[in-house]
Amino acid sequence: MNVVEVQNLHKSYGNRHVLKGIHFEAHAGEIIGVIGKNGAGKSTFLEIIMTLKSFDQGKVRLFGKNIEEAHGAALDELRRNISAVLQPTQFYKSLKVEELLRLFKAYYQSDVSIEQMIADFSLASHRKTYFEKLSGGWKQKVSLAIAFLSKPKLLILDEPTTGLDPHMRQTLWAYIQHYNQKAGGTVILTTHSMDEVERFCDKVMLIENGRTKQFDTVRRIIASGYQSMNDYYLQNVPSSEESVS
Amino acid sequence: MIATQLKYDLLMFFREIFYVVFSLLVPPATYIFLGQLFKESTYSGLSYADMATPSFVLLIAFTVIFFAFGFDQVASRSEGVEKRILLSPVSSKTLLISSVLKSIIITSFGFLFIHAIGFFLYDLSLKPVQLAVAYTLFLLLNAVMMTAASAVYSFFKNMKSALVFSIICFQVVMITGDFSFPVNMMPDFVQAAARANPMYHMNHLFIDVWNGQLAWNSSTWTAVSFLSFVFVGSCIILSLPGRKKV
Repeated sequence: MNVVEVQNLHKSYGNRHVLKGIHFEAHAGEIIGVIGKNGAGKSTFLEIIMTLKSFDQGKVRLFGKNIEEAHGAALDELRRNISAVLQPTQFYKSLKVEELLRLFKAYYQSDVSIEQMIADFSLASHRKTYFEKLSGGWKQKVSLAIAFLSKPKLLILDEPTTGLDPHMRQTLWAYIQHYNQKAGGTVILTTHSMDEVERFCDKVMLIENGRTKQFDTVRRIIASGYQSMNDYYLQNVPSSEESVS
Repeated sequence: MIATQLKYDLLMFFREIFYVVFSLLVPPATYIFLGQLFKESTYSGLSYADMATPSFVLLIAFTVIFFAFGFDQVASRSEGVEKRILLSPVSSKTLLISSVLKSIIITSFGFLFIHAIGFFLYDLSLKPVQLAVAYTLFLLLNAVMMTAASAVYSFFKNMKSALVFSIICFQVVMITGDFSFPVNMMPDFVQAAARANPMYHMNHLFIDVWNGQLAWNSSTWTAVSFLSFVFVGSCIILSLPGRKKV
């Protein structure tokens, strides 16, 4: 069964047609990168599959269920299996790190130990720090800990490594891979780091001008004549200057 | 789940200096300060404490509900917190109930706090039945204010504009609500503005009930009709598609 199945997805904001035909599917255990330049529609696409945004046309199925038909308890049940790191990372600013973990543990009715999460994500030094006092990297780290707290079947990450130093990036990817291998969870993420896509993703979807331009495995894309994913990106995604001219 | 959410909602309120100062420090301080100036004065046969106690109780309710209930919704929305919470499997009903309970707990604390100050500083005499009737009306007025605050703040997406609106709104309510400045001594246009202010009507209704002097005359009917209109209008705004609720 597909974890996510998207067919011919369209979405507009007023007169602005952001998504003009997205086709996508994700299976259990896959790590999929969604790439494209800023404004291509990546975040809108992710927010639709997170069930946060409605859409105008097309089909979106999560865990075999049509999300347009999910309301109330059925929608809550779908959301119980999804977790996310949004951009920008925001939580209640006047709660401390430990309090946020406890609150979200209650939301997800998770049996994961808070102490374990604090140890796993090396949060002990900041457990009593207010969320608003954390640096960007630490906020991202807390956000990830909360995302993993619920042991989701689907993890959606919107530019999760933005603002993180190389050590933190390494830690983040170690968690994603561990989660992916241990729990068989599916990860969908947007990133501008083609190096990360090449190293960690199984598949990649390139969105251009609101449409799926290519959706294939990283291995096949590179084998089709590119030196690297960075090379593929540079040859297939026009720069902002080129788009304007 | 409601108990957990409520615990953290209360914790967040008391950690927000802006809310605490405007809601729980400024009104009682003003009540004490004005009392020192006017405690010997009488107002249509009522003492300062009889007149000001219900007014300042209501003022606390207004500041709590408009800042910690209404403005807080805009803050969560504009900072992206609402989106992250929406993604988690907690029902919006749980969040709404917790938010309503938080407001009732804090405004009830304000109710007790102002009465305690009045009792110790201004020899306030308290009649249990009258107090119970007044508290019941106080809860009803809380409900009207919460509905109105949700409706008004549903128009705001940006926290800065909501903050500017809140501060102006607070000033207008202070001046035209008959809380600390006597409206009947102000120019005609201010008196006309006061009659368009729901807090002015709530204030007079609450003073009358609190003092056991409610008479079903034209001004009472005007106040009840006006507040009913505000409540129904707010419900209609909140039921419109695309409106952001708590």
